[in-house]
Amino acid sequence: MSRISKNVILVLLTLTSSAFLLFQLYYYKHYLSAKNGSGLSKSKESRIGFDGTQWRAVKKFIMLTSSQNVPVFLIDPLILELINKNFEQVKNTSHASSTSECKFFCVPRDFTTFALQYQLWKNEEGWFRLAENMGFQCLKVESKDPRLDWIDSLSGTEIPLHYICKLTSHAIHLVVFHERSGNYLWHGHLRLKGHIDRKFVPFRKLQFGRYPGAFDRPELQQITVDGLDVLIPKDPMHFLEEIPHSRFIECRYKEARAFFQHYLDDNTVEAMTFQKRAKELLQLAAKTLKKLGVRFWLSSGTCLGWYRQCSIIPYSKDVDLGIFIQDYKSDIISAFQDAGLPLKHKFGKVEDSLELSFQGKDDVKLDIFFFYEETDHMWNGGTQAKTGKKFKYLFPKFTLCWTEFVDTKFRVPCETIEYIEANYGKTWKIPIKTWDWKRSPPNVSPNGVWPVSEWDEVIQLY
Amino acid sequence: MDDWKPSPLIKPFGARKKRSWYLTWKYKLTNQRALRRFCQTGAVLFLLVTVIVNIKLILDTRRAISEASEDLEPEQDYDEALGRLEPPRRRGSGPRRVLDVEVYSSRSKVYVAVDGTTVLEDEAQEQGRGIHVIVLNQATGHVMAKRVFDTYSPHEDEAMVLFLNMVAPGRVLICTVKDEGSFHLKDTAKALLRSLGSQAGPALGWRDTWAFVGRKGGPVLGEKHSKSPALSSWGDPVLLKTDVPLSSAEEAECHWADTELNRRRRRFCSKVEGYGSVCSCKDPTPIEFSPDPLPDNKVLNVPVAVIAGNRPNYLYRMLRSLLSAQGVSPQMITVFIDGYYEEPMDVVALFGLRGIQHTPISIKNARVSQHYKASLTATFNLFPEAKFAVVLEEDLDIAVDFFSFLSQSIHLLEEDDSLYCISAWNDQGYEHTAEDPALLYRVETMPGLGWVLRKSLYKEELEPKWPTPEKLWDWDMWMRMPEQRRGRECVIPDVSRSYHFGIVGLNMNGYFHEAYFKKHKFNTVPGVQLRNVDSLKKDAYEVEVHRLLSEAEVLDHSKNPCEDSFLPDTEGHTYVAFIRMEKDDDFTTWTQLAKCLRIWDLDVRGNHRGLWRLFRKKNHFLVVGVPASPYSMKKPPSITPIFLESPPKEEGGPGAAEQT
Repeated sequence: MSRISKNVILVLLTLTSSAFLLFQLYYYKHYLSAKNGSGLSKSKESRIGFDGTQWRAVKKFIMLTSSQNVPVFLIDPLILELINKNFEQVKNTSHASSTSECKFFCVPRDFTTFALQYQLWKNEEGWFRLAENMGFQCLKVESKDPRLDWIDSLSGTEIPLHYICKLTSHAIHLVVFHERSGNYLWHGHLRLKGHIDRKFVPFRKLQFGRYPGAFDRPELQQITVDGLDVLIPKDPMHFLEEIPHSRFIECRYKEARAFFQHYLDDNTVEAMTFQKRAKELLQLAAKTLKKLGVRFWLSSGTCLGWYRQCSIIPYSKDVDLGIFIQDYKSDIISAFQDAGLPLKHKFGKVEDSLELSFQGKDDVKLDIFFFYEETDHMWNGGTQAKTGKKFKYLFPKFTLCWTEFVDTKFRVPCETIEYIEANYGKTWKIPIKTWDWKRSPPNVSPNGVWPVSEWDEVIQLY
Repeated sequence: MDDWKPSPLIKPFGARKKRSWYLTWKYKLTNQRALRRFCQTGAVLFLLVTVIVNIKLILDTRRAISEASEDLEPEQDYDEALGRLEPPRRRGSGPRRVLDVEVYSSRSKVYVAVDGTTVLEDEAQEQGRGIHVIVLNQATGHVMAKRVFDTYSPHEDEAMVLFLNMVAPGRVLICTVKDEGSFHLKDTAKALLRSLGSQAGPALGWRDTWAFVGRKGGPVLGEKHSKSPALSSWGDPVLLKTDVPLSSAEEAECHWADTELNRRRRRFCSKVEGYGSVCSCKDPTPIEFSPDPLPDNKVLNVPVAVIAGNRPNYLYRMLRSLLSAQGVSPQMITVFIDGYYEEPMDVVALFGLRGIQHTPISIKNARVSQHYKASLTATFNLFPEAKFAVVLEEDLDIAVDFFSFLSQSIHLLEEDDSLYCISAWNDQGYEHTAEDPALLYRVETMPGLGWVLRKSLYKEELEPKWPTPEKLWDWDMWMRMPEQRRGRECVIPDVSRSYHFGIVGLNMNGYFHEAYFKKHKFNTVPGVQLRNVDSLKKDAYEVEVHRLLSEAEVLDHSKNPCEDSFLPDTEGHTYVAFIRMEKDDDFTTWTQLAKCLRIWDLDVRGNHRGLWRLFRKKNHFLVVGVPASPYSMKKPPSITPIFLESPPKEEGGPGAAEQT
């Protein structure tokens, strides 16, 4: 008898407890989804891949930021590329509809990368705490503000550069963009300081932060992918193209200050007038070439001025830019003409030693040198109008980086010191006022003479 | 299943009609012992799982609740913060929680040392006279405030009473007298010293020396006093050495709810003293104000630069009023501190704002000027998209409608090239000469004290030729020079939107402030709708002035303009008077008139082409300089312009004003 009742009791207990368990599971799920916001539809379980740690981390992150009104946008190159490829499809998929498969946020990876414009971030501290309360483990990388760098006497509150927030095994990398003079966005270098746990995330795999970077300010659009509402750049293609060439180098303000302590700044009215005009000319040239989509960089004296003293050398007579010959476009000349800069002379031809000179306002000249690439070096050409003599200026190979100069974003050779030493020798730090472009540069070599028959084409003076 | 027969063992249950298939099956299994065992174990396991899930659920729910109730982490953060405020070199490493305090008082020198570290030393001649007060944190020994009250001079004892009353109970107070501290130490102050337990303080006499250490509201920890033997001599120097037992950190702190704001408050209050109710345990004054947003705020994204020195109490008052103004956006505010001062930075951090310190360059006025330049440049670097910047100083109160005023008028700076700035301050807007908060003027002088600077003006004109450090110029005087101003004008309100409360600045002394700033009118009405803002544009303003002059009643020029009866006892009329002004820079009569009107007379302010506009007895009062002003043609031929001679006494020329 006792055994029966024992059994029965056991069975009954099992039944009730399973009923309880079911109820609890149901309740627990309900509770969890309530905590995670209401966006989650019940059909979720039937979808594929939506329960990965990755998707959940991204979802939590997006919820966190949207609840705090922090306009983060997706800049993860891999996901942006996927979205870009399937753009039509993504656009047509409206909210909560047919997506049954997690396509974008579930590709197994260690990170998903987002970005944010710092000045739109209202309550950073509060956000940070909330993130930690939601289970994110966050790492914040700060540094001093480069925008205050040139005024050496200022020291301020540090600015945040990167946040890395980890939820279980997936990390969200939040790149903080700062607004800079010249209407572009800047992000900093992710430098690990001594106390930071180097194993926190595989830092080497991060796509942003290896170097500082500069980007055009992207317009944003809202899309829904994998059931999540995210902001992405309106032109994902353009943004993706910017990434590999986004490396930014700061002007060497400290060295520039030392230079001025040694040589004193030229504060005469003439010097300041020239600098002002040259600045305007540079800005106009930058605007014109950007419209054409032509890559260019600061070259020769302008580059030296930037590198040595972070300003335009007041006794230089012109402004120099470099362009790779493969970026040459025939409408450069007309574009400059339309911008109010008539062609002054044209030397060489596209195949050889091309050089353009435009007449700026107020007697400041704009020289554009075209660079030719060989297997182990680059070169640009020079032509003496009177004699038809050709010159060649050799440079070690270089890549291009962004920098800020005269309140504008410009490219410069990343390997600046090699570039400048090739052009000006080891003594580039000492200002020299007399400079003969045919003889002074250490990298100049004679390159024959244009045949007289070609002179009409290769030496055009206006 | 059909052939199934209930085993006799479970017969009593066989009566049950309703039996699930499952149960039936299970009963069948009971015949097999092993299986039965298995089922039993399974059931027990199942029960266990249920229990575990239950517990987990409870735990989770708990955590969620604690998360939800915003009270973030426990105290540990704060303990860390305290840990950083190391007391000055604690002796030994043992658990001894006692501070060695030495206090010295004499005629020419005072010093205070805590655990061997000098925290106050003053032996400079001809300064630092009076009672020096130091407040220590009772838990850490950290110096929280250092003040000197020159109680030889009048009213300083009132400031001391005010200060001592603000110090939180339990703090360690140290007082020491240098030179003389009793001459204007009145009864209230003496009573307060008595309430602190001091014996000698209330009886402090002429040129006595006195050193005191005590806990606010608690026991006296040491006191020494030496009477001056004669009027012409001082008391003997006294050196007080005493031990101050430290109390535990918990005792020293208030138990505010653990929120983001209180975290800031706690950090602040454990470091500094003398800010009154912001650190009150019971009912601390708020540090977040969330004033109403402005509809259609045109200045929401205009950066605000607050130029500050080392006057943290001023900065505190200033930031409170700024953050209370409607339409303020705190993330646009940057406080620029001239020098590596900690306390102003603490104040900035209390309000959660951005602070930038500036290494001093040059001296005196040139230092201020270089600080201005660095601050303005940095502002436009930090906000590269901004077309304007609001420039404020630490000794200003900001009107509640400051941003509303700017929002309504800032388009003028964009549309009218003949404008130099918009300023919130009317130099001539005193209680008795300003009336209409909706009215704006154009003036040729730049008032400063809360103004808007156009980026293009700064970047293209001012920054490149800003006076270099070796030129000891005032930045504002320099900006007012014709080479910089180039005939452009500023828009100002009739009733100022800022109030200059500063006294102890580089450029100010007490008397000066009393005479020229105290009676200034300051708008306290929120949301004032400015009238006819577009009439402030260059040409429109001329039309407006001509209209005003045409309808103005000409005053009786035979009366003495300094007499009150010069203006009739009416309300809402417009009157005009003509004064002599031979050339554009002849302000002889105006200066005399300004003097007897009791308005700014140290240099010429508030004029527009030889015309001044102000209010008298609620009437609009226009003054035209004849014949220099182009408005002279409005003078009836019968009227002889008023001429007032300057008194023969030699006066400092115009321009010397702010240097007094």
